[in-house]
This record gives sequence, structure tokens and C-alpha cells, in this order.
Amino acid sequence: MNKTLKLNKEEENRYLNILNETLSAEYGSALEMLAACKLSEKDTFAYGYFQHSKDEYNHSKTFYSILGKYGRKFGEEISRKYRFNTNSLIAKGYLSREGYLIETMKLKDFIAYVYTNELLARDSFEGILKLFKKNSNERDQISQIMSDELRHHGLAEQHFLKYYPKLQPWQLMIYRFRESVKNKGRKFYDKNLKFLDKILTPLYYSLAFIAGKIIYLIDLDQFQREGKNLMDIKSKSII
Amino acid sequence: MYLGLSGYNHESAAALVNNDAKLIDYCREESLSRIKGDKSFPKRSIRKIIENNKLNISEIKAVVFYERPLSSFLHPIKTATLYFPKSAPLISHQLRNFKKSSIGCFLDLASIFPGLEKKLIYLDHHLSHTLNALPYSNNQKNICSVVVDGFGDRSTSSISQVNNPYDIREIWTCKYPVSLGLLYSAITDFLGFQVNEGEYKVMGLAAFGNKKSQLAKKVSSLLNFDIVTKRFEQDMSFFSYHISPNDSFSEKLITLLGKPRNPFESLSTENKDFQKYADIAAGAQSLVINNLRMLFEYAYSLTNTTTFLFSGGVAMNSASLDSIASLPFVEKLIVPPSPGDAGSAIGAAYYGFLKNSVKTVKFLPKPDLFPSQYNYENQLKTAKKILDKDFKILTNNINEALKIAANLISKGEVIGTLIGNIEIGPRALGHRSLICDGKNAKAVNYLNSVIKNRSPFRPTAPCMNLETAKKYYDLRGELMESYKSMGATCSCKVGSGSSNFPTSHIDETARLQIIEDNSFLDKLFRELKEFDIEILANSSLNASGDPTCYDLIDVLMLSARHPLRYIITDFGLLESKFFGHI
Ligand SMILES: [Fe+2]
Ligand SMILES: [Fe+2]
Ligand SMILES: [Fe+2]
Repeated sequence: MNKTLKLNKEEENRYLNILNETLSAEYGSALEMLAACKLSEKDTFAYGYFQHSKDEYNHSKTFYSILGKYGRKFGEEISRKYRFNTNSLIAKGYLSREGYLIETMKLKDFIAYVYTNELLARDSFEGILKLFKKNSNERDQISQIMSDELRHHGLAEQHFLKYYPKLQPWQLMIYRFRESVKNKGRKFYDKNLKFLDKILTPLYYSLAFIAGKIIYLIDLDQFQREGKNLMDIKSKSII
Repeated sequence: MYLGLSGYNHESAAALVNNDAKLIDYCREESLSRIKGDKSFPKRSIRKIIENNKLNISEIKAVVFYERPLSSFLHPIKTATLYFPKSAPLISHQLRNFKKSSIGCFLDLASIFPGLEKKLIYLDHHLSHTLNALPYSNNQKNICSVVVDGFGDRSTSSISQVNNPYDIREIWTCKYPVSLGLLYSAITDFLGFQVNEGEYKVMGLAAFGNKKSQLAKKVSSLLNFDIVTKRFEQDMSFFSYHISPNDSFSEKLITLLGKPRNPFESLSTENKDFQKYADIAAGAQSLVINNLRMLFEYAYSLTNTTTFLFSGGVAMNSASLDSIASLPFVEKLIVPPSPGDAGSAIGAAYYGFLKNSVKTVKFLPKPDLFPSQYNYENQLKTAKKILDKDFKILTNNINEALKIAANLISKGEVIGTLIGNIEIGPRALGHRSLICDGKNAKAVNYLNSVIKNRSPFRPTAPCMNLETAKKYYDLRGELMESYKSMGATCSCKVGSGSSNFPTSHIDETARLQIIEDNSFLDKLFRELKEFDIEILANSSLNASGDPTCYDLIDVLMLSARHPLRYIITDFGLLESKFFGHI
């Protein structure tokens, strides 16, 4: 990070947020690849995904340490919001509630997905790289990760063409186009969602007030169990 | 067959109890998803159980969910309304996440396992904890069950009289938001650790603190059992978990205790604020111990029984058990190996069984310590190339593997184990463990800091046979069952030298495991005899932050990422070629 640059609180938040999100994305990929490894039909595929997963774990380790470094620097008030928790990967959308990609996609689509995503990942690192000073340790580490992503992209391409020779490189380009549009869409959607959220918060709160009023009136004490045999309470009751 | 489920609010899991009340399969979702503390609907665990046991949907008589979902949804909102408008974010968050709450279990079952949703039934959350603990007691009649956790569907702690498995009467409860568990979690959060995961760290850290310090006293007075009203009294103004979806403590707690710890700061004895945080942890630990003792005294006065079941997340506080067991009226203190919410899926499955059996079953049989079915053979084919390229099989004869492993351990090496089924609870008991010579400080330190990357103030547990344990530690008859699953700490025997063992904690206690006859560890100890090794350090097979390894590929990945050189498996001893390159 540029030492000459004095960051205000908002910027510090932004830095930690980017690092935390990137870490989440890397850890999410590590889990995706591990799942792909376990569900591979051929041991050669499993081997490839195993190496890929290992790389992604290492990327997340790198970002974890960078996040830690700046988290220490920026003080606890800001940094405690950016603790990394694998349990949030689903809520943040880095993993799908439905399951891992390999569990929900056709193998061919999965390979194409990896192919395009690795390239997109590499692109997004260009932006992250700018956060750090030239010749800094972080830049070196991130450049290393970028070259890994490029390698993954290359391997996925080879893999794809080897097993699906009837598909031509231009078809992969279509996949890539589709993914990048989706990615842009996702960002656009995210931005709008955040904006909407800001506008709607007062509305949510008023609704919360009304719903709260109603729930307040429900006498939950009538469901108290003191002295009752818990084994005899109706087993179909959800309250 | 009866399928028990837990999830949504806390760790998810699925358990299968057969028509003879036997727990025949169990799986924590985190084992399969690899997300630590995974609380999502346990779809992979259910699928795995159905496939492993070749179950037909029609054979499952009931699917039992570990709490009453509407109750667990409404109670926090109702409490929050008392704090409006401050609590608006929490209420709005709860309402917006309605579909993601446990009410969604019905829909999730219907969409992923159609047919099963029709068999869905529910039980009170604390009953699922009680039924998870009950089978571990030799006496299942006229005993007392104490449940203490963060929050169930109505209450945060309770006392029940267990007359028999069909007659379990609740006689006292503590209502949300007053909660021993949530308070401990708030302190965990204050100390910079992850809630629902870092509580062990607070417990480890507490031993370094001074419980008589000002800070510790301030913390330990945050909640008190009032002997007149027979209620826990907690000043909620120090906390935020009942009004905010993100914060667990309030500004007032910061005013009381000073700045919370920066979670990214490393915490070691050399750290300048170390003592301060250790004192806070010590305060939280005394708060737990003092209040639990009072609660048990009250439970005794209500039930007049001497056998106690103790479960719920707070029962994982192994350092408090010794003190509870020392109460004069306690003859047996039964803590199940998985006392938290993942384990309550098992209690839920037993409930299904009991509700569907004629009321003549007198006794629920004790489950195995390793009930989660796993067979490495299915993965050998998939892992073939990984094994060929990155690992060396030193031997594929298991007896020879034990001999070589013993020799390696005697030379100070650390060995990973992947043997049979995985452990039922959070403690590794030899099947998914990292082990080394328990008296070799260098090896224990390597295991703890280099392989696992754990904070240096957390002790590593020792395991041994009963005879050795008696030689070095003051065991309590009341806790014998818990020692088998590493559930309780005990004191080092004065003059035995054990307080200097690297597996002993700074407060001269150890959370030991007494191994069972003919278990894998027992066989290994027989080989270790020739090297005079009577104690092994035993820690779970994972690196800090990851769930414990479940299958073969998990352990191969662990040694690809961390300097773990040797792994003993059911098919032989492996050496990692990654070693030296990490
Ligand atoms: Fe990556
Ligand atoms: Fe990648
Ligand atoms: Fe619970």
C-alpha cells in the first residue's frame, strides 16, 4: 500500500473489504476445486483439480496474511468487521446454496466455467494490484497468484479441447463472453441492490415496527412447558 | 429407521437411528461441505446416510428436526420488540431472512428429498439435547438433565427430571435473552475470536489470567444466579446480541473493559495486552463455573437425584466439569461426546424412535464413539494418481504400518491418522488425529504451531490408557465416561511430574483421553511399549480454521498444504512428497 497516501476511514474500510472479498473468492474456489476433485470419474481429472484446489488454498492463505497485515494496521474498530469466516461464503454468494458447481452443473459446463472464471479472476487482480505500492511484497505475491490463474485458465482450455475436441476455441469464447456478461450483470445487480437497500431501509424498519407490534401481542408464554412431559407435546407443532 | 436433523441456526448434522434404537450412522455437514461450522440444510449428510444405508424413503418412519422452528423464529423478535427502535435492524433482519430460518426445513426437504417432508416432526430443542445425552448413562430412570446453550427454541438453559425415556419433565428454564452461552460468545467476540468457534480459545486463554484481578471480577459479575429468585440475572445493557444482527456486545461493555482485541493481532504471552485479555477470559471462565455450580445445586434441590446429564454448547466447556463433578451430591456427570447442536440431531433421531415404539423400551443403548460410516475404498480409485505422484506408500500392511509409526513417533515425528469412521464429536480420538510423543516438547510444539498453526496458548491434549492416567492425574469417578471422549479436564497429580509434560496446561490440568481397549490407539500403544512411550499428544486432524479431515482426499490435501509428512491409514502408511517443499 502506498505509504505516502493517508487513508481515511472510508478508504480503510474499502481496502479491508476488497481483501476480505478476494479472500472469500479464493477460498470458495479452493472448496469448489476440492469438490470437483472428489467427484471426478477419472483419477487424472482428480489429480488436476487437486493441484488446482491446493493453489487456490494457497492464494487464500496469501490474502489472509495481507488482510491480517492491514487489519492490524487499521485498528480493531474497523478491522473486526472484516474477520474472515468460511461460514459467510454462502451468504456472500461465493458458494451456492444449491451446492458446489460440480454438483449442479454438467461436467462440460463446469470445465468451461473454470476456463472463463480463471481469466476473469486474473482481470480482477489487475484492480487489486493497484492498491499496493510498486515493488511491495504484496504486489509480488499477487503477481504470482495472477500467473497461477493464467496457468489454470490454460489448463482448463487444454482439458476442454482434449475431452471435447468437437468444440472449437471460438465456442469457448462464447462461454467466456457469457460469463463476463453475467459477471458484469452481477456487479450491476449488486450495486443496485445496495442502492435499493439504502432507500428501503426506513421502509424495512417501519415494517419491522409493525410486525414487531403484532408479534409482541402473541402470548408465547402459553407455550411454556414447566411441569409438562416434553415427550408428550405434539410432535407436529412448530411452536 | 429414524432420521434426526439439526441446522439453520447452528451446526447442521444428520443422524440415523434404527428400529432397535441403535445409532447406525451420523454425519456433520461440515465434514462433507468442508465449511467449518456449516449451518446450512444438511443435504449432503442426508444424501450420504441414505446412500450408505441403501435406504428407501419408505423405510424412514420419521424425520425429526431438533427444534420447533416457529418458536425459535418468534422468540428473538418478540424480545427485540421490547427494545424498539434500537432493535429495528435485528427485527428487520429476522423478517427478511424468514425463508432462510429453520422454518424452511420443510421446503428444503420437499425440494431435495421429496416425500420426506411428509414425515417431518419436531421436538423441543432442549429435549433433543437431553435425548442425545441420555444413552450415555447406565441409569436412565429418575435422573436429572441440565441443558445450557446459547439459545434453543424457547430457552437458554433448562433443568428437566428424566423419570424414564418416555417421561421427561421440564421443571425450570431460563428465558432468552438472558443466556450463559450467548454471554460467553459475546466475550469470545470481544476477545477477537470467532463466535461458535473461538470459545475453546477463551477457555485456553483463561488459564493464563488472574481470576482475582479487577478485570476478571468485572466480567464475572455480568451474570449471576440469584438464590432467592432462582433466576439468572444479567444486565443486558452490556450486550447487543438481542438487538443487533451483527454486534454481540455494547459500547457499555467497552467502557467497562476497555478496547476489544483486534482479531488480526497475534496473541502470545509476549504481547503487551496479553495479560489484560487473559484476565477477561479468566473472568468469563469463573462466571461459567460459578453459575453452573449454582445451577447444579439448584437442580439437585429440585430433583434430589445424583446422576446428572449435562449438554448444550456450554457443556463443551471441559474446564468447568471438574468443578461441577466435585460438588458433594454429584455421583455421575454424563456429558455426551457431542454436546452441542450438531449432536442434538442424534437426540432428535432418538425422539423419532421413542415416539414410534411401544412404551416398553426401558433403555437407549450407548452409541459407538465412531458411528459416522466411512469407507476409504470408494476414494482409492479417484485418488490413484494423487497417491502415485505425490505420496509414497511405505507399507500397505497395517501391522507393519503400526510398527513403523511407533518407531517414527519415538524419533519425534508427528503422524496423521485416517482410520475407519470419523469421531462423533468435535474431539479427535485417534481416527482423525495428529499424534506424537506426548512427553516430547519439541514434537508437541511442532504439531501445534507448525502443522496446525494454532495459537501457542492453546494446550494439546494427551491420551493414554487408564492405568497410566491414574499414575499421573487426579481422575474423578463422576467423569469417567467423559474422559473417553476427551470431554473433561482433570488436575495433574502432585509429585507425578505430569505438570511438566508438554500436554499439560499452565494451570496444571490436562484434557485427557482415556483410550478404549482394542481401539486403534490401544494397538498403537502396544507397539509403543518397546520405546517406553505411554502418552501421546492427540489433536484433531486439521489446520486451524478448517474442519477436521473427513475422507482420504481431505487428509492428502492437508499434507499438501501443511508440513505433515506421515499418515497412517487403513491401507497402510503414507509419506508425503510435499514435505520439505511447503
Ligand atoms: Fe486463485
Ligand atoms: Fe485459479
Ligand atoms: Fe442448543
